[in-house]
Amino acid sequence: MQRRPVCAIEDLPPGSMKLVQAGKFGVGVYNIDGSLYAIANYCSHEGAPLCAGYVVGTNEYAPEMPDQLRRVREGQIARCPWHNWEFDITTGVNLADPQKRVRTYEVDVTDGQVFLTA
Amino acid sequence: MIIDANVQPHFRYNAEIRKFLASAHKLRSIPDVEQQWYQAPGGDYRQDLYGDGYPASDPDTVYRHLFTEGGANFAILNPLTRGNIADYLLNSRICAAVNDWLLARWLEPDDTGRFLGTIRVNPEDVKGAVAEIERLADHPKMVQVGVPLQSREPYGKPMFEPIWEAAAAHNLPVAVHINGGNGVDHAPTFAGHAYTYPGYAAFMPLNSFVHLATLIIEGTFGRIPGLRFVFADGGYDILTPLIWRLDTFWMSMRDQTPWVDRYPSDYLRDHVRFCSSAFDGPTDAGLAERWLDFSDKADLLMYGSSYPHWSTSEPDDVVAGLNDEQREKVLWRNASDLYGVTEGSLA
Amino acid sequence: MTTLEERTNDFVAQDIAVTIVDTDVHPLPVSGEVLKSYAPAEWKDKLWPAGNAVSPVPHFYDTPDSYKTMSLRVDAAPPRGGVAGSDPEFAAKQLLVDAGVSIAMLEPMCDAQLPQAEHVLKATHNNWLADVWLGENNWHGRWRGAISVTAQDPSAAAREIERWAGHPYMAEVLMTPQTRGIPFGSPHFDPLYEAAARNSLPVATHLMGQTPFELIPIYPVGNPAHWHDFFASWPLLYVSHLMSLVFDGAFDRHPDLRIVFVEGGFTWAMPVMWRMDRIWEQRKGDLPHVRRKPSEYVHEHVRFTTQPLEDVNVAMYREYLEMMDLGDCLMFSTDYPHWSYDSPEWAIRRFPADQRERIMRGNATALYGLPSTVKALPGEQPSAS
Repeated sequence: MQRRPVCAIEDLPPGSMKLVQAGKFGVGVYNIDGSLYAIANYCSHEGAPLCAGYVVGTNEYAPEMPDQLRRVREGQIARCPWHNWEFDITTGVNLADPQKRVRTYEVDVTDGQVFLTA
Repeated sequence: MIIDANVQPHFRYNAEIRKFLASAHKLRSIPDVEQQWYQAPGGDYRQDLYGDGYPASDPDTVYRHLFTEGGANFAILNPLTRGNIADYLLNSRICAAVNDWLLARWLEPDDTGRFLGTIRVNPEDVKGAVAEIERLADHPKMVQVGVPLQSREPYGKPMFEPIWEAAAAHNLPVAVHINGGNGVDHAPTFAGHAYTYPGYAAFMPLNSFVHLATLIIEGTFGRIPGLRFVFADGGYDILTPLIWRLDTFWMSMRDQTPWVDRYPSDYLRDHVRFCSSAFDGPTDAGLAERWLDFSDKADLLMYGSSYPHWSTSEPDDVVAGLNDEQREKVLWRNASDLYGVTEGSLA
Repeated sequence: MTTLEERTNDFVAQDIAVTIVDTDVHPLPVSGEVLKSYAPAEWKDKLWPAGNAVSPVPHFYDTPDSYKTMSLRVDAAPPRGGVAGSDPEFAAKQLLVDAGVSIAMLEPMCDAQLPQAEHVLKATHNNWLADVWLGENNWHGRWRGAISVTAQDPSAAAREIERWAGHPYMAEVLMTPQTRGIPFGSPHFDPLYEAAARNSLPVATHLMGQTPFELIPIYPVGNPAHWHDFFASWPLLYVSHLMSLVFDGAFDRHPDLRIVFVEGGFTWAMPVMWRMDRIWEQRKGDLPHVRRKPSEYVHEHVRFTTQPLEDVNVAMYREYLEMMDLGDCLMFSTDYPHWSYDSPEWAIRRFPADQRERIMRGNATALYGLPSTVKALPGEQPSAS
């Protein structure tokens, strides 16, 4: 584990991701509405490059709606590029089975520079 | 103790059912009481039972076979209604006639309380099915609701839900059983009609998995915590590979059906039971004990003879190779817990 | 992402041992225009009617976020452009080099409503596959192709089989399991089976899409509303076909026929074999033409590809596979570049140790007559084992 510079914060605007060559598979650093998060680029299912997948929201059960669901958490969910497993970027937790989480890492911004500890 | 959770009592002849049919329908044609979809060559029932009258049509004979000679303590009678005829209102009247006949000929005359019954309903007539459940649910000998396996829509679909709500409200499991005969139905296999009787008989019960899958994925089990389904034709050996598949893809599909809030297999224990069949189980009895523990089938399986079917199985056939705990569960404990039937239920 | 390293003038292809055979890969034409160029002139307007801006791709059942993903791996889009699976070089890089697959079976998916049109469309795909994937782009000898045939006209299918039977890289016949109500054991398919068996070509079957509405089988108790329970139940289509093959005597009529069930699971085979054996024992009189125990037919005549592997407890899974004892009948597959792809590295650990070699390589090699070495690609270690 080492604290390594990633980029200037201007180069990681909200809604964007930078893939850092850290660890065996890489780490994705995400800016979600101004907050920074980092998850391993390795899906806990079959080892797919998780950060190559789409970043989307998800649906929660809403029995009062005609279609029984509501869209929530836009921009906070990483879907694996293979089997579309859903991971909460802010916690690394899988939305279906919390036990199938992915590793998360500390990110900080100091003097306008993004740092990843991985 | 032995509870036989699947016996089909039969009419002696067509005129018998007509006695119970509502007067508005006395001149209607209804399925012959011997009507089958795919007839087993040589007869659908045990050869030795064709002697005095139609197989399983005489309560005294059936009583002697199952209890006096057979050693069972209780039998759940689930009569057939011979097909999903097009006129769904008439079909509901057939169900009511069958229910009244079951009460009059089998349940009420039995002082010992060993015969238990099924409220047959027609899922295509939702209002009529709910009314029939309400009519008979309080009868102490009616222990479940019965519907055909055949359906043009799987039972998890929302149109059927009021029926399952009514059953669950009265603490009645819903038993699904093949009711072949005159019906407007889809072909029995995924690849079309079977060309042989074995091709039909081997496949047909496996269709229960589609009912089961939809009851989970549509959220029916999730919305009705007390709902229990019994798949009375067996087919439970296909459960493990297919529920594994359903579990596997839940991780991918969760957002399309977010009301499914746990692994599909986590619904089985609270909501699903199966009756045994002569076609399920390893051909090597040495595998039976381990096999029954896959998918916790030891907690899901109940002995059902299918008397008087040609494939009628004895309790010993069904529990061959099982350990003591599994035997007890299959022979009576699972059924006892599900139906609330104990030795004390006997008169 | 890097493209496949260019072969330089100095490049000399080295031999590499075959270790992993992938029995389910889906190539796509890079464009409709390219595919059309392989069709007979008089059929172009019939198969691709003018006025459609794009070929519509209907979805009766859709996979996760399929409007974006098109049911493909998001990371499999070729850098040069085109949809995933349309670039032989990039596919070689991702599947053969990165994933370590030695030989892969290419299975295009296509369908048409009317029999003659479907026959021509399948023949068109065969022309395209042979030229784009099995010709110059197969200098390494690591692609094999399926001869696509129409199930709607088995005699036409037989002629198409004969057309390709001698091709060095066409290794199997491919037909849909969505056979509009005719089960596989029906004599309807005899001309197709006869041609395939005579040419030692296994007959593989794979979901062929959802284009004509009648390709969606009506499930006997009605259809689920979601891909989830629809696809979990899908193996019952293969179960139906397998029971028909056995009980309707197809394997007795065609002793050299081999059937491959692709992407329909295989763990169901154990209870289904028990079930068929039990009923055969009890109803032999109904089946005078079925000379052997049903499970024996399965061992001898049937193969299953492994993807998608169920993601359940590994120890329990291996125990199940040991109990099942079908180690000679399973063949590893990835389903590249589809979204439900199984990685070889992940998959191999799920098999019992003494079945791994057969599943990953041996069974497919025996079935398809594959070599023990192929050419290494730039970036691969030669003779890795």
